[in-house]
Amino acid sequence: MAGKSRKSARDKAQQEFVSEAEELLERMRDDLSALAEAHAAGRAAAPATVNQLFRSAHTLKGSAGTFGYAQLAELAHHLEDVLDRLRMGRATLDPTGITLLDESVSLATAALEKLGGAEADESLSETIALLVGRIAAYEARPVPPPEVTLAALAALAVPEGLLRALTEYEESRLRSSIAQGRGLHVIEVELELSSFEEGLGELTRAIHEVGELISTLPSPGAASDSRIRFVLLAASELGATELAARLELDPAAVRVAHRPVAAAHAESGGEGLPQQREPRAAEGEAASLRSLSGTVRVDIKKLDELMNRVGELARERAALHALVVRLTADRSTARIGLELDKIQRGLERRVQALQADVLDVRMVPLRQVFDKLTRVVRRLKLDLGKDVRLELRGAETELDKLIVEQLVDPLMHLVRNAFDHAIESAEERSRAGKRPEGLIQVEATQRGHDVALAVRDDGRGIDADAVRARAVEKGLIAADASLTKKETLELLFLPGFSTRSTVSETSGRGVGLDVVRANVAALGGLVALESTPGQGTLVSLTLPITLAIIQALLVGAADERFAIPLGGVRETLAVSPSDVQRSAGRELLNLRGEALPVLRLAEEFGLSASPRDQKQYAVVLGMGDARIALLVDRLEGQQDAVIKPVLGPLRTLRGVAGATELGTQQAVLVLDVSALIEDGGRRREARA
Amino acid sequence: VSSQVAGEGWDVLARAAARAREAREESAVLRELLCVEVGGEPYALPIERVREIVRMRPLTRVPRAPALVLGVISLRGEILQVLDLRRALGAAALPPTRRSRIVVLHGEAGDVAGWLVDAVSEVLRVPEAELLPPPGVAGELVTAICVRGERFVSLLEPDRMQSLVAA
Repeated sequence: MAGKSRKSARDKAQQEFVSEAEELLERMRDDLSALAEAHAAGRAAAPATVNQLFRSAHTLKGSAGTFGYAQLAELAHHLEDVLDRLRMGRATLDPTGITLLDESVSLATAALEKLGGAEADESLSETIALLVGRIAAYEARPVPPPEVTLAALAALAVPEGLLRALTEYEESRLRSSIAQGRGLHVIEVELELSSFEEGLGELTRAIHEVGELISTLPSPGAASDSRIRFVLLAASELGATELAARLELDPAAVRVAHRPVAAAHAESGGEGLPQQREPRAAEGEAASLRSLSGTVRVDIKKLDELMNRVGELARERAALHALVVRLTADRSTARIGLELDKIQRGLERRVQALQADVLDVRMVPLRQVFDKLTRVVRRLKLDLGKDVRLELRGAETELDKLIVEQLVDPLMHLVRNAFDHAIESAEERSRAGKRPEGLIQVEATQRGHDVALAVRDDGRGIDADAVRARAVEKGLIAADASLTKKETLELLFLPGFSTRSTVSETSGRGVGLDVVRANVAALGGLVALESTPGQGTLVSLTLPITLAIIQALLVGAADERFAIPLGGVRETLAVSPSDVQRSAGRELLNLRGEALPVLRLAEEFGLSASPRDQKQYAVVLGMGDARIALLVDRLEGQQDAVIKPVLGPLRTLRGVAGATELGTQQAVLVLDVSALIEDGGRRREARA
Repeated sequence: VSSQVAGEGWDVLARAAARAREAREESAVLRELLCVEVGGEPYALPIERVREIVRMRPLTRVPRAPALVLGVISLRGEILQVLDLRRALGAAALPPTRRSRIVVLHGEAGDVAGWLVDAVSEVLRVPEAELLPPPGVAGELVTAICVRGERFVSLLEPDRMQSLVAA
């Protein structure tokens, strides 16, 4: 499009700001999750995490201000205030605080997304103003006085002047350590001036493994000019001798400034053992530093362009191959042809390797989606007052970045559904002999070229009779239709079907399983649902690892060609007309004793129908237990295909998941396996 | 006295300059229109909505789609729906010729679609004032007409065109 060449410096600067801010907000989300987890587990927030959050908010405020995004800057400013009080120990974390922080970060993210748009979004501005108001009210609440008085600080056995040299933050950490009953130690070390940074770094890491380093101050009195002396103030539950041993220091270098208060206090203080917490914080910090220096952020569009280039390269290679075929066919040029063929094969291997590399770059772990689910459930727990545990497994499973983004909505929808509709109230659960706390599990596993996602709940399950009654009431099926339980549950995926007549705040417009299926189908994936009344529901999604390339089966019907994602194909077989039998007005294919509903692709799509006496092929499409036989005229082999959306005013193409381009520059439609299976099942019903 | 004359002289100059500027501004309100031929009649499309013009290429039919949708094409890695402007304007369907072109339009919301026209003829620059409201009989797709020589050119509204399908 035209805009690219006209990109101004202003645009570029804005893009840089957006990508920096995205990074900051992403880190803040991670830190907030850690904070909320700690709070939920009854632990106090890790100071390193709170401090990092504060720094992120501070940086965000600064750069938003620089770029003239006043509202974003204001929001960040309030965030910074809340976090500053928290890190200074002037406030403690409570659920309201977590929610406010959560909302601020979400809102800032939303505001950031809107920056690309031309005009300001007024409703967003209003929302930000409202939130800022709530934060201000929250901050105005009375705060308890510090637990540790100045007198207590003065009583510490620390070198003179040290207390005065502490920053406000360090002092607050000092007070909080004393309040929690941890011991305080003064550590004095002398290091070579030329390499003191290294030595100090090592010592800092070692201290963080067994406690917290509160302050590092240079001090006078080094033995020679080439050396420098430091006084470190550390909090730890270890005794002085033990600490010295762990830090590999002379015992004389470590002095007790304040004795730890014994075990009982540690429990009620509730911060947990530092050995469990601090190393993680330290590792996290190191990891994030590494990733900052070793990674670049790339616009996904650039990767798409790169992918297209690779595709072009592959087509050039195919042209070269055609030339090889021509050359080798003629005796006089066969030798050159063979030489060229060798080069062409080498090129093919390299193009394939390049394709694999580009695909690999697009892969991101599911973690970011899972984090969103965690936040949603946390929020729902507060809003609905239901006790539900969310278990996430397989966060490290990698998928194409685009798929991961498109997965957010369907997954949120399923989790909200489970929370809102499936999980019963605590009383209801107790009556049914279940644990009062509900459970929602989301699990991702990679299987070859697919990723399987399972969303499982231990709620009330789906009442097939109620589904059936509603389908009859809505005129979707005849009152006397004979449906298996499986087929009945399939009805839930029909557009607009909802088992609840009321639309709730939480799940929005109805249950919306049709939307989930449509979203997943657009990604070349499948959705299946199983449910046992009283025990729960399982929704399984199967998705290709990458959108960029799927394995497709090419089939021909009448004059047209279509691609079918191989993930939905169970098998293919040649069928003669006599293999298809009519029974009770519907066509069935006898597949090793099992009767499969038949769907004739040419007829289904209104193409010129193939003569009935001709030999055809059956493509057995499967999804969960549902299977149909799709009859086509030709099987044209397998191919890697890039599924793309069909752009244009026609929004829904029933039975079509997208389109792809196969070397010939001609578009080929990619069939939507779930929709076809549904149609096959319905056809059967209509004729029954 | 001389200074007064100078003052008047400046006044005259300033007024002349202002008139010239006004005239320029007036003539600057030009609409640029892409003229296309459909069913033997001239139509115009606002050029700011035209993304590109491409030659006819292999169409892939879309089953179960409204007749207005001729099919989809692959255009530099994008898959685009191609719609029949002849049919949209009530002209009889004809197979494409060598002069046929696909005009790719983008809507307000950035959505795109290809429209098959019989030919692309020229780009017109028409002063806004010469765009007249269409007579009552004009189709709902026409927002204005203008006179070019002996012919009436009808200006089409892309969003209304696209909504023919979406409805």
